[in-house]
Parts: sequence; C-alpha cells; structure tokens
Amino acid sequence: MNRTALHIFRFIGLVLLQVLVINHVRLGGYVHPYIYLLFVMMLPIYMPGWQLLVLGFSTGLTIDLFTGTPGLHAGATTFLAFCRPGIIRLISGTQKFESIHEPNLNQLDGVWFLRYTIACVFVHHFSLFFLESFSFHLFGQIMLRIVLSVPISVFLIMILLFIFKSNKKGVER
Amino acid sequence: MYSLWRFILKHHFVILFVLLEVVSILLLARSQNYHRNRMVNTTSDAVGQMYAWSSELSDYFRLNKTNRQLAEENAWLRQQLSITNDTTQITYDILEHDTIYEYIPARVVNNSIGQVNNYIIIDKGKVDGIEPDMGVISSDGIVGVVADVSRHYASILSLLHSNSVVGVRFKNSQELGSLKWGTSNYRYGLVEDIPTHVIMHEGDTVLTSAYSFIYPEDLMVGTVVDTRPINSGALNTAKIRFATDFATLRYVYVIRNMHKSELDSLKANFR
Repeated sequence: MNRTALHIFRFIGLVLLQVLVINHVRLGGYVHPYIYLLFVMMLPIYMPGWQLLVLGFSTGLTIDLFTGTPGLHAGATTFLAFCRPGIIRLISGTQKFESIHEPNLNQLDGVWFLRYTIACVFVHHFSLFFLESFSFHLFGQIMLRIVLSVPISVFLIMILLFIFKSNKKGVER
Repeated sequence: MYSLWRFILKHHFVILFVLLEVVSILLLARSQNYHRNRMVNTTSDAVGQMYAWSSELSDYFRLNKTNRQLAEENAWLRQQLSITNDTTQITYDILEHDTIYEYIPARVVNNSIGQVNNYIIIDKGKVDGIEPDMGVISSDGIVGVVADVSRHYASILSLLHSNSVVGVRFKNSQELGSLKWGTSNYRYGLVEDIPTHVIMHEGDTVLTSAYSFIYPEDLMVGTVVDTRPINSGALNTAKIRFATDFATLRYVYVIRNMHKSELDSLKANFR
C-alpha cells in the first residue's frame, strides 16, 4: 500500500480509537491515557520540520474537535512535534537511519522504541496537563496525573505497536 | 528585507512552532471564558453524528439500567400526581407556577467527567428549540447549562467545569450559597459563600435557589457530605455529593423558560 495512504489510515484509526474508546475508559480521576500521539511518533524520520509541525497541530486540533477543547491538544501535540527531532537525536546517539524510513518496531529494536515512546509520551502529557490547568497552582495534582497517566499511555502504545508488528510492512496504525 | 527573509527561512522551524503554539493558546484562552465560548463554534453536526452512532451501540449494553431509572422516575411522577390530585387548589397553584417551564427530553451522546473542563453533547439542537443558556437536568438532579448549539446537537457546560457557578439554597435553613465544582472528583462539588452562622449537618439537602434564571426553583442539587471552615474568613464552604451521577448519565431534560425574553429585557434595563 502507498505510504501516504497508510499514514492517513493510521491517523483515522488512532483518532477514532482515542475519542470513541480510550476517552471513555475511566481509571479513577487521575488517569488519562492518550494514544493518538503515536501518529506523530511514526511520521517519517527525515520529514521536513514544518510538515511535522503542521501535521502535529492538525492531529491535536482533530482531537480538540471531539473533546470540545479548542487549542488544548493542538498545543500539546505541536510541542511534541517540535521536540521530536531532538528526542530522536538524544536517544539514538551516533546511530544512523539511512535504511529506515520511519520509526517502527520491525527495523528498530524494542528497547530503542520503549525509550522513544516514554520520552514522547512524557513530553506530550506534560504540556497537555499544564495547558489544561493553564497555571501552576495545581502543581501536585498535575504531577500526580502525569505520574499515573504516562505509564498507562506507554503501555497502550507498546501494545498497539506489537499487535500491528506482524504486518510485514510494519506500519499499520 | 533580504536579510529578514533569510532569517525567516533559516529559523522557519522555530518560527512556525511559536506561531502554532500562539494560535493554540489563543484558542484555549478564548474557550476558557464561557461566554466567549459561544463565538468559537465547538459543536458541529459532524462530530455530534459520530458520537450519536457510537453511543447507539453502547446504549444497548445499558438498556437494563436505563429502563430501571425511567421506571423509578415514572413511579415518582405518579406519586406526585396522586398527591396533587387530592386538593384541586394545589393543582391549580402548581400548574400556574410550573407552566412557564417546558421540558425537552434529550439523549446524551457524549460525556466526559475526567477533564478539568467537562462538556456533555446531546442529540437535540437548534431545530428542536434548544438555545444557549438553557438549564439541563436529569431525573436525579441538575446537570448543567447549554453552552453551544448546532442544528441537531448541543453541547452542555457540565457542573464539572471550572467556570460552572450555580446559585443554590439549603433546604432546612433557606440560606443561599454558590455551587462550584472545585474538586477533581465527579461525585463531589463545593458550595461556597455560606455565612458562618448557618449550621449545616451532613445529609442536608441542597436545592436550586429562586434567583436563578436558568433552573426552576427547588430542583435537587445534592446532599452535604462534609462541612469544614476553610480559610477562617466570614464565609464557609460545604462539600456536597451531586444527586446526578455524571458517570452513567443517559437521558436529560433541557428546560425552556417561557418568560426568558421578558426576564432578559428586564435585566437589560438595569445595565
């Protein structure tokens, strides 16, 4: 299948999964897992920066449309897109990606991907929860939400990755 | 000019990032203000339709509970009817008193309880006569206020919203207070601005006050679970448990006040 079509398919699948299923899972008041950022995580590694930002912004805005919070997810996901090149450089060190088009489990080992996921989820959740409260006065509560939500999101994203790993192309959802 | 252009090209990544973040934060800041929220049209028919499809499926799994709730409400209404039938005088009073309100039933198609600002989407909109600022109740108690309307759907600012304020009254002492969410738990809210001489007990009933143009008087709001003197000022705070269970909300009623335009024009005269 065409790579662009795969990205579009993954985008639709992740957004629907997020707004129709994950947003309705209630694990106490503090746990809010978000998996839609996997779309931004799996965009091609050498994608031009401006495309990355625009796609991140529109992904967030799509989620905002469903949750009725204009700007909230858009801001957080744009921040993630901004940090992504730095995160990849930081985690990979000297490792080069000549043969690898986009980050996925078939071509990169599990440990690399786990570190990548943890970094991305943390950056995203951190900015999201701060934007949501719009101030630092609920600092303790925000930290609690981050500490509880990040592991759950990482866990869900890794599960999704392993489920769709068997696909030889390795890029479904 | 050329050097400016070169600067933009060189730093386009950072500049675009800052631009997009500013747009996000402006959108967010606008939506934080409930009254300005109406200009940002956050309710769209397409999104409403999507939620309606998904909730139709999940509704099947809750039919049992929904049926029981509606049956309980029916029983309560029948009981009310038999009480009012006893004396014609009261019937007359109640009719006279109550016909300024019309109740429009609606189904909840999407609902959140875990965010800082929670909204509910219902399957009735402009064509069904829903307008912003109408009150919304469930069979158990008050739910929120209509914030935004599209053709077939409406979004409701839930009591679980940081901007939600409702004028309430203690059933026993008749004292007034104002209800805010204030906790991050969907079951509890805080009644603030209670004069310190008011004696409150656990289990006291809290109702809507008569001064609200949104809700009719004496609707159930919740019961007091904790009274604690906070920050030693002149006013007390009480923690209440909402009568409405927001986690299992399926059917609601939107309240249309027939005298609203009259009240609004009266209020406008004072400005």
